[in-house]
Amino acid sequence: MLIYLQLSSPCPCLFSPMSGHLNLQPPERPLRIVARLLLPHSDVLSSLETIAASLLTCETKNHPSEEKRKRELQEVNLTFKGGLSKKRQMEVTDAIMMVRQAGVPARLTAVAFQYLRGSLGDPQNLKCVTHNLHKMLCTWDVSSEGKYGQTDFCYTTNDLTPQVCFKTKERRVEIPVPESSITVIIKSSGTASATKEFVIHQKDISFIPITPHILSLMPDFPNSALNLKWSDNGSVFPYGLDALWQIQILRKEAMEIVTQVTYYSKLTHEDVILSWSWRSDMPLECTSHYVKIRCYINATQFVGPKDWSDWSPAEVIPGKDTEPGGSGVFPLDPVVAVGSDLTFCCVHEEDQRITNMTYGSKSYTMTQLSSRSHAIRVLNANVSNSSGTNVVCRLENGLEGSVVFVGYAPDSPQNLSCETSNFLIIKCTWKPGRPSGLYGDRRTKYSLFERTSGKNVSCEVNEANKDHVCDFPVLPDQKNYDFILGVSNPIGQAKSSLLVNITQRVHPKTPEKLTVTGNNSTSIQLRWFINGSFAEIRLLCQIEVSSSHSERKLHNVSVPGRKSSTYTAQLNELHPDTKYQLRVRCSAADHFWRWSDWSRGVEQTTSEAPPARGPDIWRERSPSGESLIVFWKPLSLSESNGKIVSHEVSCYLLDTLLEHKVVFEPSNSTEIKLGKSDCVIKVVARNHAGSSPPSRITSVGLPSDNVTTDQAVAMGNGINISWDSYPNMTCGYIVKWCHSSGSEPCSVDWQKFPSNTTNVVIKSVRSGLKFTVTFESFLHIFLYCCSMKYFLAALFKPGVRYNFSLYGCKSMGYQLLKNITGYMKELPPKTAPNFIVEETSSDSILVKWEDIPIEECRGFLKGYLLSFAKGEKDALKPRLSNSGNPELKVNNITDLTKKSMKILDLQGKTSYQLELQAYTAGGIKETFYPEIPNPENSKALQFQRNICEGNKTLKTLEMNPCTPNSVEVVEAQSTSPKIEDTEMMSPAAETTVPEDGSESEMENHVVVSYCPPIIEEEISNPPTDEPGGSSQVVYIDIQSMYQPQIKPEEEPEIDLVTTAGYKPQMQLSISALKIEGHSPVEEELDKTAGYRPQANTNAWNMGTPDSPGSVESNNENASFGSPCSINSRQFLLPSKDDEDSPKPINTGWSFTHFFQNKPND
Amino acid sequence: TGDSETLCRLSAAHTECPCHPPLRCCVSPTGDSWGIFTFLCAALCNLPALPALNCSEELGAGQSIQQTYDLTRYLEHQLRTLAGTYLNYLGPPFNEPDFNPPRLARAERVPSATVDLDLWRGLTDNARLAANYRAYSRLLCYLRVLDGQVGTAELRHRLAHFCASLQGLVLSIGGVMSSLGYPLPAGPAGPPAPPGAPAAPNDFLKKMDDFWLLKELQTWLWRSAKDFNRLKKKVPPAVVTLRLEARGF
Repeated sequence: MLIYLQLSSPCPCLFSPMSGHLNLQPPERPLRIVARLLLPHSDVLSSLETIAASLLTCETKNHPSEEKRKRELQEVNLTFKGGLSKKRQMEVTDAIMMVRQAGVPARLTAVAFQYLRGSLGDPQNLKCVTHNLHKMLCTWDVSSEGKYGQTDFCYTTNDLTPQVCFKTKERRVEIPVPESSITVIIKSSGTASATKEFVIHQKDISFIPITPHILSLMPDFPNSALNLKWSDNGSVFPYGLDALWQIQILRKEAMEIVTQVTYYSKLTHEDVILSWSWRSDMPLECTSHYVKIRCYINATQFVGPKDWSDWSPAEVIPGKDTEPGGSGVFPLDPVVAVGSDLTFCCVHEEDQRITNMTYGSKSYTMTQLSSRSHAIRVLNANVSNSSGTNVVCRLENGLEGSVVFVGYAPDSPQNLSCETSNFLIIKCTWKPGRPSGLYGDRRTKYSLFERTSGKNVSCEVNEANKDHVCDFPVLPDQKNYDFILGVSNPIGQAKSSLLVNITQRVHPKTPEKLTVTGNNSTSIQLRWFINGSFAEIRLLCQIEVSSSHSERKLHNVSVPGRKSSTYTAQLNELHPDTKYQLRVRCSAADHFWRWSDWSRGVEQTTSEAPPARGPDIWRERSPSGESLIVFWKPLSLSESNGKIVSHEVSCYLLDTLLEHKVVFEPSNSTEIKLGKSDCVIKVVARNHAGSSPPSRITSVGLPSDNVTTDQAVAMGNGINISWDSYPNMTCGYIVKWCHSSGSEPCSVDWQKFPSNTTNVVIKSVRSGLKFTVTFESFLHIFLYCCSMKYFLAALFKPGVRYNFSLYGCKSMGYQLLKNITGYMKELPPKTAPNFIVEETSSDSILVKWEDIPIEECRGFLKGYLLSFAKGEKDALKPRLSNSGNPELKVNNITDLTKKSMKILDLQGKTSYQLELQAYTAGGIKETFYPEIPNPENSKALQFQRNICEGNKTLKTLEMNPCTPNSVEVVEAQSTSPKIEDTEMMSPAAETTVPEDGSESEMENHVVVSYCPPIIEEEISNPPTDEPGGSSQVVYIDIQSMYQPQIKPEEEPEIDLVTTAGYKPQMQLSISALKIEGHSPVEEELDKTAGYRPQANTNAWNMGTPDSPGSVESNNENASFGSPCSINSRQFLLPSKDDEDSPKPINTGWSFTHFFQNKPND
Repeated sequence: TGDSETLCRLSAAHTECPCHPPLRCCVSPTGDSWGIFTFLCAALCNLPALPALNCSEELGAGQSIQQTYDLTRYLEHQLRTLAGTYLNYLGPPFNEPDFNPPRLARAERVPSATVDLDLWRGLTDNARLAANYRAYSRLLCYLRVLDGQVGTAELRHRLAHFCASLQGLVLSIGGVMSSLGYPLPAGPAGPPAPPGAPAAPNDFLKKMDDFWLLKELQTWLWRSAKDFNRLKKKVPPAVVTLRLEARGF
């Protein structure tokens, strides 16, 4: 029998059916095939299968390029010759098609083979192979004669089963696989008939599974992935066998193996479709990718040799470089994670030359994939910028590109928190974590999914915000919300969940429209509005109440919630006539979550109420005894309940009203003409709302005897007064004293003590003083720069005598028990006693002196020192310089009652210098006590009271000017100022006789600083002094509290100023004389002296180099640094301009005596 | 194409008209098309953004040419900084000074200003003005699309500002044409205007479009400045052909 397949092309392929090998030459060009198939017999199918299998091997091994062409070989025209039935023709056609589908269509194009039936020969080499463990295919060789004869084939598996026999014209049969062995008898018919018996054991049978068949290979270009599907053919195998699948990935035209993996599966006696996918590190577009598969079935029960199946035909995913006109950079616009390694390829036309490829701004080395495809590899990609990183392929005459977006997968949202402000919307917030680096459509997207309701909301978030916000609607009848916040971007996704009961997550909106709807003296009604429907909960609102003189207080109000409603509350127990600031915030009452913000505040002043109590009162008889002065103290703010407008003083004798007086503020005393009679005085304080309860005091003063006067000096900060217990004082004691401020009548002050008291300290420091200042403008400045405490609270001044009286209270009236004279601090006497010399004889004189006025003693007088020495002017000076003058004699007179002294043993016709000084515990009054005279009160020109009576021959009196020649530096901070005697002697001030009493009036030393603004000094300096001179000089001291605002460039000079402190006036006078000269030297002096005569305004412009010539800068700076005017003592407040001036140069100023006003005026 | 152009202009007028109080103008003599009316309303609405067009006073042709010229120069200047920022946003190689990619076929949708200079000069004033008008109308539409896609808020803001200015220029050119008595072009000639976002098939091609858009804008502005300068010399400043009246409706 001849099977002859003839093709119309030259036949490049020879097939040897005997060896099973085929030599195949690839056709030079695509062929249109005309196959002529001569099949006189029917068994072509199995032959074709065998041929096909061989061809497959042949082709894939040697001629891969042939594979490419197979698609072009679409048609096989078959011509059947001989008596082949229609059915057979169909079978053959199907067989060929099947062979084609198996991936080897072309082999038929080149196949021509003869299948010759030779004469019969001995069958030999019986080989059996099973593909399914069920049937096996056995083949054998015969000699050439026997090839075309018929064969009788019998087999038997064991003795029990009958022999099976059949005739065949082929040399292959399919018979069952025996359990152990099978006996086969092959009997060839023909010329030389031969019979051969074979025994085949299972171990002789090879098991080679059926070649797997790839069902599908799908490319996933965006992900550069391949998805492979194949059937495991499990139905032909027993259940439970292990199957191993080897899959090979090949790439490029040359089919380089990229990877080979083994896939494991278990067979289930069913056909199962297995799938496997693979992600390529190279985009699939870059070049063609191939996949083939083979399998191995581990049939453990089968003892014969087992082997891998043949490889399946390769499936291909062709690259863009095989596509005509295909070009571009791949992958196209991918989104990848930071740190990825990326491969990009550039596919171009065959004739185009590629210049370079860049990723971002960097050029990369290319590797060739094919004649039309090149690739670069980028390792560890960084975050791309917001428009993506460009991958550009430059061609000789063109450009291809792609944009890659490198970013991060989203972080899990942190701190997810949901709350509602109105029960309409739930607002969820979270922290997004690291920015993804992706924008636009690739940005990270958020969605809020609620599990209970299944509702999903996608969130529009503002990436720029640190906290992201998403709104979810409140659902009807749902309190618990099980949220899942889903986050995703092209790189990854994350989620975060939260279970909340929204009634426990209420964060109300800020209360609005806070108004006061009513008020009286102790209560205020408030109303406010909150947007939101809180019908399901109670609200807790907090009202903050604050006023200037009470601490901030919070009142909590719990109110049932309503739907977008107003809420009201009343505040009670408020203080009358007080301005309250009110604001409100709210939260949920039952499950506190968060307070709302505070509402805007409102202010409301409560109305006035009558004062809470009557004032503290005291009364005194006038010295004449004809009238009674009633004193009262102001009520504190908390007691007055409003502005006190007046006090009503009435005087009752029993029930008879003797007198009624209305005294308007600010008086704190009144006089009642009472004559010698007594009455009960009632005082009420009155404000706009009414009167206080009356305070009562009787005018009766009980007679007292043995009233002693004690002396007391303060210890610490108060004057200590003690007394023996007076058992009959039933209603306590009163210590009364008087603040004397010189010429004015003293103002009375008092303190009450209970009856068991015997020892009190009247404190110099008192809080809550009502302080009225005459010079209000001063106060402002003053408060800025001074220690307020010192001025406001120092009740008692050093060196001032205070008289205290202790009264005892009995039901009948008050009884004076004791007087106490006291000093806060003793100072040296302000003046020396005036003395005169009388009864001059040849060897003796009588010196007489007068008492020093009390206010000038400044302490309890201890004695006098009378010094005298022979000589002229300087006779007494050495004593001061402690060098000792043998002629000097000093008498200490401690008997204060003595008012004269006779000095004996004097030499006749001799000049003596005399000096009389008084001293207290505070020290001695020095001769040249440095004081800067007050020109208005200056006694410089009166000089000495008894000057006219003075004996000119004995007492050298020179009318030297009272030039202040020494200054006193006063520490402002110290409560008891320290006095330093700098003892600067002016040559002009050399006087022979001490200027006792001649010094200008000296205010007591509480003075912090002073501005003795002008010395209108008729220049009487001796001619030895500096020539010329100005008649007006202003001395400004530098205050310790002075904080100069220093221009940086002026620092050196300012330093001088501040360190120089107070310069002796002596120096000043020198500079003062030069003022009008405006010489540079003089300016220098001005600057270093630390204070300047006001006349020279230029000098204040220190440091500004151009200022001396600049009028503007003069104006700018002049007045601010000059608190004292030239011709008046008025304190100059800085003008508006100067306040605005950005760089005031000298902000120091001085205070004059004004500030010695009594603090409780 | 005419419709889409009108649409584009109208939407511009609607979206960028925060007019307060509503200020309206009518043309005297009454314009022949509704488009002119729309344009004028848009012009007035955009007054705050238009340094060169001031409705409150009567404009002569010379003046309006001068103002258009000034606006063109201003836009040139504005574009210089904007383009720098935008090209940096696009990233290398777009921001490289020597980057000169071949113009892709798809970029031709952006009106090109690469007409031969002699040929351009040979056109009538009317034709040149009309070409300018059409070109900027189209460029503006592209620019708006660009604006909507930019990732960073700051750049979006600057683009929006530039758009407003460019819108002003379109209106200003319209004003010049009207003042010279030329009819406004009914619709842009050439390839159809994009209905919305130009469908660039991928991000890289979109970037190329953006690049060309900026480049063309630059060339157009440069040439327009020359055109208006020439026109300015031709037209005496005193001629008043357009009269705008503020009238309360």
